[in-house]
Amino acid sequence: MTTVSDPVDDFTKRFMGDPDPAGEPPQEPGIRLTEQQLRARRARSIAIALALGAFVIVIFLVTIVRLGGNVLTRPM
Amino acid sequence: MSLTVARVEPSIAGVGDYIALMKPRVMSLVVFTALVGLLVAPGHVHPVIGMTALLCIAVGAGAAGALNMAYDADIDALMARTAGRPIPRGRITPGEAAGFGMTLAAFSVVALGLLVNWVAAAMLGFTILFYAVVYTMWLKRSTPQNIVIGGAAGALPPMIGWAAVTGGTAVEPVLLFLIIFFWTPPHFWALSLYRTQDYARAGVPMLPVVAGERETRRHILIYTLLLAPLGVTPWLFGYAGPTYGIAAALVGAIMIALALRVHAERSGHAASKQMFAFSILYLFLLFAMLLVDRTAGLLIGHFVP
Repeated sequence: MTTVSDPVDDFTKRFMGDPDPAGEPPQEPGIRLTEQQLRARRARSIAIALALGAFVIVIFLVTIVRLGGNVLTRPM
Repeated sequence: MSLTVARVEPSIAGVGDYIALMKPRVMSLVVFTALVGLLVAPGHVHPVIGMTALLCIAVGAGAAGALNMAYDADIDALMARTAGRPIPRGRITPGEAAGFGMTLAAFSVVALGLLVNWVAAAMLGFTILFYAVVYTMWLKRSTPQNIVIGGAAGALPPMIGWAAVTGGTAVEPVLLFLIIFFWTPPHFWALSLYRTQDYARAGVPMLPVVAGERETRRHILIYTLLLAPLGVTPWLFGYAGPTYGIAAALVGAIMIALALRVHAERSGHAASKQMFAFSILYLFLLFAMLLVDRTAGLLIGHFVP
């Protein structure tokens, strides 16, 4: 079985050096979140999603209640 | 030239911390009193609109709680009762709490205005502003009358509930306002009697810190003597039946008896603790009885021609 090399990857390795000589994922610059921070962020994200979902449902229900049967009344 | 960059740690705050920021126990009393205001108001409101109004009032109360905790983080850290709040524990920064509070405040007021009516929304906006600015930022640290005047914020929810149905106000919701307004000082002063050291350490000029225990006990008795008759006024003004009147007089008499015990107490704080605990039950019972009275009246009116 032959492996096909990626020409872009080859070019990068030849002219800019191999960024991943040991086969490990490259280290991106910036803040790396700990396991606890990731868990907390995920929980907050889910809570915000649920709150927004509830907000949409409230707006929908109030719209239906306010319009009532008039929702079917429109100029033709 | 040196450049200082503040290092901001990614947040570890969980959903529970944000819920704690909204003072859920205060919120439950606010929602309950607003519900009573909403249900005793004349006229009809669609259940969905009523629930939406309550939700907006609950979120508005939560917003006020978050703004209060954002501003008071320094003194909360010094008092045993409040040291476990999310900001003193380092779970949430004051800036995050302020942002959270202001977002919720804007959402709740605008939503109440657009979905229910603007009179109720204006009242909710005023309540949040009064609690966060007038009470928290101004009165709390400057006068022993802080909770007397600041109590107006906690007393407004039944008026907001009433306005959500009627679009205005009347004598009855004002009576409900006055009941909570006169209930707040003896309730908090009873607490402050056995938390005096806490308040003194934090520099909060609560009445026992500034005027001493004896004066506080006298004030508790005076306010309770004003509160107990006020509790009966919904019956006297014809807004509730005699069952409510008798029950309100009974729990009012218990409040006065407890206030007399607090007044007579010379050592220890057993009576103050009892007064604080019963005062919560008192307000709950008063509003629950008003609700039962009105609901029973409606049911009898419905089934008996």
